[in-house]
Amino acid sequence: MGNSRWPFVTAGLGLALLVWGSVWGLFYAPREVYMGDVQRIMYVHVPTAWNAMLVLTFAFACAVLSLLRGGWGWDARLEAAVEGGVVLSALLCTQGSIWARPTWGVWWDWDPRLTTTAVLLFAFAGILALRGFVDDPVKRAVWTAVAVVIAYVDVPLVYFSVRWWNSLHQLQSTPETVSRAFHWPLRINAFGVLFLMIGLVELRARLAWQRRAAESAPPLPSGVAVATGRL
Amino acid sequence: MERTRARDAGRGAGRERSRLSGFLAALRKDLLLQWRTRAQFVAVFVFGATALLLFSFAIGPDAAALRQHSAGFLWLGLLLSSTLALADSFESEVQHRALEGLLLLPADPRALYYGKALANVLQLTVLGVGLVPVIVVLYDAFTARIPALLAIIVLGAAGLSAPGTLYSAMTAQMRARNTLLPLLLFPLVVPALLAAVKSTSLLILGDPMGQLTSWVALLVAFDAVYWSLCGLVFERVVED
Amino acid sequence: MRGVIEGGWEFVIAAYVITAVVLLGYAFSVCWRLWKAPRHDAGR
Repeated sequence: MGNSRWPFVTAGLGLALLVWGSVWGLFYAPREVYMGDVQRIMYVHVPTAWNAMLVLTFAFACAVLSLLRGGWGWDARLEAAVEGGVVLSALLCTQGSIWARPTWGVWWDWDPRLTTTAVLLFAFAGILALRGFVDDPVKRAVWTAVAVVIAYVDVPLVYFSVRWWNSLHQLQSTPETVSRAFHWPLRINAFGVLFLMIGLVELRARLAWQRRAAESAPPLPSGVAVATGRL
Repeated sequence: MERTRARDAGRGAGRERSRLSGFLAALRKDLLLQWRTRAQFVAVFVFGATALLLFSFAIGPDAAALRQHSAGFLWLGLLLSSTLALADSFESEVQHRALEGLLLLPADPRALYYGKALANVLQLTVLGVGLVPVIVVLYDAFTARIPALLAIIVLGAAGLSAPGTLYSAMTAQMRARNTLLPLLLFPLVVPALLAAVKSTSLLILGDPMGQLTSWVALLVAFDAVYWSLCGLVFERVVED
Repeated sequence: MRGVIEGGWEFVIAAYVITAVVLLGYAFSVCWRLWKAPRHDAGR
């Protein structure tokens, strides 16, 4: 796994975009007719949602490649993507809850997409826990890849079942479409989170790679080999 | 390496027949095992029934509310009991190191999986059927549509059993297994749980809008996806 | 939609602040752990 600086650059660019997009959305974008200023939460909520799904889809791809091709690179990226996905999902649920309170008067409105995210959060957090309990690196790689595939396949099933379950009661959902006047801050923030996550997932994958290499490296002998320059 | 070669040699001849006979042999072994440990099963049943009792204490003696939510209680009780039942399913294999022995046989590991998963479906179905009289008594939750109820219990049990057997095989080989199995399983089976609860609820409370078939279809879809997927990956989970 | 929502700036600020804290915090956490990780060039 490389040592170059590109992830830091990418992440930094992402952060810069996020600052730009957020300032625009907070102070310069026009007020929405019905939701007023509360609608501005969308400028961070929607980009987080898109990227959470993107990162978890990348995790799924890494899992499939890890199972089919093997090698430690895909496993390292898998670990990074699952952790990133958990962070974004947790953030998403928090944002959704904060949005729901002034809008619907409740902290949770059982919106199908948000509820699916909550289920996903628990599923992938569980996979991180699984990873922490397996000592054998080969088994760890195979099992977490299998678990990620199984959890990801579940996503459409969870979404449809919850949507259906919720439709029998009053359907209260977060707005899907944002009118055209509001697109720019949204797009900028979306790319901001994207670049940030690309950089962070790569860095986290390097961490996973180094940890695994440290795991299987033979124990350093005392002094001698180091002194003679053999290590 | 030798294991794969031995397995492939056995597979070469009469592949289809060996897969089916492997499956039947695995099923027979697991059913026999379950019969021999039926005292444990009784304990799991008592656990489930106790859970149902505790749910009613959580709600209060409101007969209407209890009846309204009886389907949910039944499936929650069954879900909680299933973690005990499923956790035990690979217990003997791991304890007596029988897993490696089983994998050396020229039988498809998939046959092993399906045999055990089917045995688990049977066990969970018996458990579910056993808990029905409990909800009839405790929550006044009766339905005349017995065959439909049985079908839903079987389908729901199948939904729990497919990923449950896979994760049981995984967690049986590691520490903290009793925490990890429910942790991994519960978020996964949400669609099956929702569908089973809604279907059962419609049977108990009535189905004026004819939604039952749709929910059952969702349950069948979940079962189809996971019975094929888990069988496919099982080999990777138990290989050495 | 039920009507017009007035105000609500505290929720907007809360959402933005939490987002910033989580994203920056995670970025810092990854960089910190990477910096602290044991380096092993043997067996590479």
